[in-house]
Amino acid sequence: MAGPDVAWYVATAAVLFGIGALGVLIRRNTLVVLLSLELMLNAGNLALIALSRHWHNGAGQIFALAVMAVAASEVCVGLGLVVALNRRNLSLDVDTLSELKG
Amino acid sequence: MTAGSWLCLLAPLGGTILILLCGTRIPRVAAAWIAATSVFVAFGGAIWAFLGVRSTTGHVGELTTAWTWLQSGNFHAGLQLLVDPLSTVMMLIVSGVGGLIVLYSIGYMDGDDEERRYFAYIAFFVFSMLLLVEGGNLLMLLAGWGLVGLSSYLLIGFWHDRPSAVRAAKKAFVMNAFGDATMALAFFILIAHTSSLSFATDFNVHLSSTATNLIALGLLGGAAAKSAQIPLQTWLPDAMEGPTPVSALIHAATMVTAGVYLIARTHPIFEQARTVELIAAGTGALTLLVAGLVALVQTDIKRVIAYSTMSQIGYMFLGAGVGAYSAGMFHLVTHAFFKALLFMTAGLAIHALAGEQDIRKMRGLGRVMPFTKWCFLAGALALVGVPPFSGFFSKDSIVASAAALGTWYGWIFWVCGIAGALLTGLYTFRLWFLVFGAGSAAGKAGDARPGTGSPTAIPGGEPSPFVREHYHRHGRFEGPLTMLVPVGVLAVLATVGGWLQWAPKWHPFTNWLAPAAQTLAAAEPTSTQEYYTSAATVIAGLAGIGLAWAIYSERKLAIPAAPFWRRLLEHKFYFDELYDALFYRPGVSIANGLRREFEEPVVLQTSADIGEVTMETGSLVRRIQTGLLRTYVLFLAGGAAAVVLAFLIAK
Amino acid sequence: MSGVVVASAGNALVWVVWVVAAFSCVGSAVAVISFSNPFFSALALIGNLGSLAVMYLLLSAEFVAAAQVLVYAGAVVVMFLFVIAYVGPRRETPWSGGPSWQTFGAVLAAGALLVEIVVAVGMQASGSLKHDGHVGATFGTPSWIGRVFLVDHLLAFEITSVVLLIAAVGGVILGSHTKRATV
Repeated sequence: MAGPDVAWYVATAAVLFGIGALGVLIRRNTLVVLLSLELMLNAGNLALIALSRHWHNGAGQIFALAVMAVAASEVCVGLGLVVALNRRNLSLDVDTLSELKG
Repeated sequence: MTAGSWLCLLAPLGGTILILLCGTRIPRVAAAWIAATSVFVAFGGAIWAFLGVRSTTGHVGELTTAWTWLQSGNFHAGLQLLVDPLSTVMMLIVSGVGGLIVLYSIGYMDGDDEERRYFAYIAFFVFSMLLLVEGGNLLMLLAGWGLVGLSSYLLIGFWHDRPSAVRAAKKAFVMNAFGDATMALAFFILIAHTSSLSFATDFNVHLSSTATNLIALGLLGGAAAKSAQIPLQTWLPDAMEGPTPVSALIHAATMVTAGVYLIARTHPIFEQARTVELIAAGTGALTLLVAGLVALVQTDIKRVIAYSTMSQIGYMFLGAGVGAYSAGMFHLVTHAFFKALLFMTAGLAIHALAGEQDIRKMRGLGRVMPFTKWCFLAGALALVGVPPFSGFFSKDSIVASAAALGTWYGWIFWVCGIAGALLTGLYTFRLWFLVFGAGSAAGKAGDARPGTGSPTAIPGGEPSPFVREHYHRHGRFEGPLTMLVPVGVLAVLATVGGWLQWAPKWHPFTNWLAPAAQTLAAAEPTSTQEYYTSAATVIAGLAGIGLAWAIYSERKLAIPAAPFWRRLLEHKFYFDELYDALFYRPGVSIANGLRREFEEPVVLQTSADIGEVTMETGSLVRRIQTGLLRTYVLFLAGGAAAVVLAFLIAK
Repeated sequence: MSGVVVASAGNALVWVVWVVAAFSCVGSAVAVISFSNPFFSALALIGNLGSLAVMYLLLSAEFVAAAQVLVYAGAVVVMFLFVIAYVGPRRETPWSGGPSWQTFGAVLAAGALLVEIVVAVGMQASGSLKHDGHVGATFGTPSWIGRVFLVDHLLAFEITSVVLLIAAVGGVILGSHTKRATV
């Protein structure tokens, strides 16, 4: 394969995943949390595509497409939640949405 | 004949189950008639069984097994019924007299809200008693024994909103339980030695004298508890809290005689432990005197009859104890007739006076209730043993067999028997003269406590003010027909029932029982002994009647003051107080002490502590739940990191 | 890891493209989580998605790259932008709020995940990642993807479509006005 070995791509995916995880953990705005989740999903996609290329197995790309579809669905539902929250004039701060507190 | 015995046993059980299943769907009186019919059907079965036994040669009887009930190693116990002369006698009495009493209760309990429960219990009692007498091995006998104790408890406490009734029921049950325990211990010893509870094995085995004595003592304990003999007699007077038909059936005719039946049935064991058997006779003799004395001061009509029952069972124990089993059983039969009659006529009086039981208030009842008066008189004469009434034939045989022993204790028993006859005449006719009598008694405080008698003079036989006020008739007769017919039947039986046997000359009853319970030769009285004993008892009885007439009817004699004796008798020889101090108070204080020292600090505190610890742990763990999404995601990420780490390490 | 071998000008071009794409990918990711205005975060995500698409192209996954741009950048991010605009301006500082241990724990967890993945990949790289497969010309083309998707992985295809349907229904319900009062 021309260019970097597959290991570089997977390393990039790992870094992307870590950044996404950090974003989920430290941001308080629901929308930004959802965006960070997208980052993590994309990182997974990148790893899949890279390894699919490396082992010449089409299943990786298929899996990546499926992940894309599921990510889209999840975003749809998540944003629906945000819209519902907003309609009830509730805050979008995840720290405030803590009624299930023990 | 075995079909008859099964029918006899199961008909009352079927009656109970039917009443229970129908519940409130049937009218109360329908439940009553179901019970009565089932007991009469049982009587039919008993007759069938009786005829069957009679037609076999030697009248030996038959053992019928339904299935094996218990099996453990070498020990088998089956659901067995024994149909032999002894059990058929008991079956006839239980179902016959029982049927009459259940018929009587239809009238007596009419109008009670819980009538159905009463009849279910009564039918169940008849079933239990029949199980007891028909039991083909000791285990079935014990089963019936326990069930009659239960039925007695249920029926004594039938009016459960009366605290006194509930207390009386508990007292009866606890004392019976003591007897059950001693019987169970006796059975354990038997099983340990013979691995069997069947009659054939146990009655033919010869164990060491210690074992035999212990077994016999255990059996005697059970018999004494069930039959209310000293020292386990205190429950019987209190058991009068139950309805009068219950007193008639359970505490006069059938259950309390179960002890006598037990001795007759297990007589081979008792004969091997002759000392214990004689202790039984001594118990009987002592009880008949004590009960007779206490009956002299009772003011409740039912309690007089209850003490009389205790006394008469003392006679039966005396007879069975010395070895004259058929004499004891014959007295059981006649006693069933006249004692049930006495209770039922008392019930007629109580019913007519709307529940009043104090004889001091019933003065002059004879004028307004003649039928009751004459029936009561028949029963009273039978009880005292005046010929030709039934009691004469049975009681005298017993006392004569005591004389036949010839030993020093035999003569003591004989004297007790004669003295008992005097006392019987005295207390019975005290009752009759006070309630039904027509003597010229002036209305001074007779045997009532000073100051409580009516100050105005009442001419002889006139109804007292209480009676005038409270007496009410049911229509044309003195009571409903369902009450009067059984009373009449029993009055006839009490009069002629004794003609079944006159010991010196003609004894079909003894012959009938011989295959099952042969009278011991030592206790077989000669004709001479019979004759002079009869004469002595009749004279003593008539003397008692005469004394009663003089004191209570004509007021020619005054009752001696003797305050010590009066107090002793009124407190029933202080048995209740003694048991209270010996058993109840220590038991209660131990229970309270345990509660204070152990249960509250240790048990309850431990469970409370466990609860508190759990809650504290919970509130510690609770702090993880911040409610923040970010925290939970952090836990997710941390967990994922840990899992991956674990995989890496594993690699 | 094998060393950087530059064999030809073509190889060098690929390397250059990869470096640009990778760095913009990581940079835009950092931007996504750093901006206090969510609108700018969403815009940064577009950049991220674009650089990912470039990397897919480098990996002979043409169809997936196209789908990425069309679906992700075209639909998902547009949805995001729409909702962000709808809910209005919210500003928030990224590192604020929460229990004190939260932030520290977050960095630790993310760092741990990163390290672990790198280690895992490194271990693999010393092993089987040496083998370099030659792929055919049809690898990654739409026709090839279509055949594999619909023949070898039909179940995944159907399930994915069901998931999408459920999500669509859910979204509609969540967004609709509540007709009845909740007790």
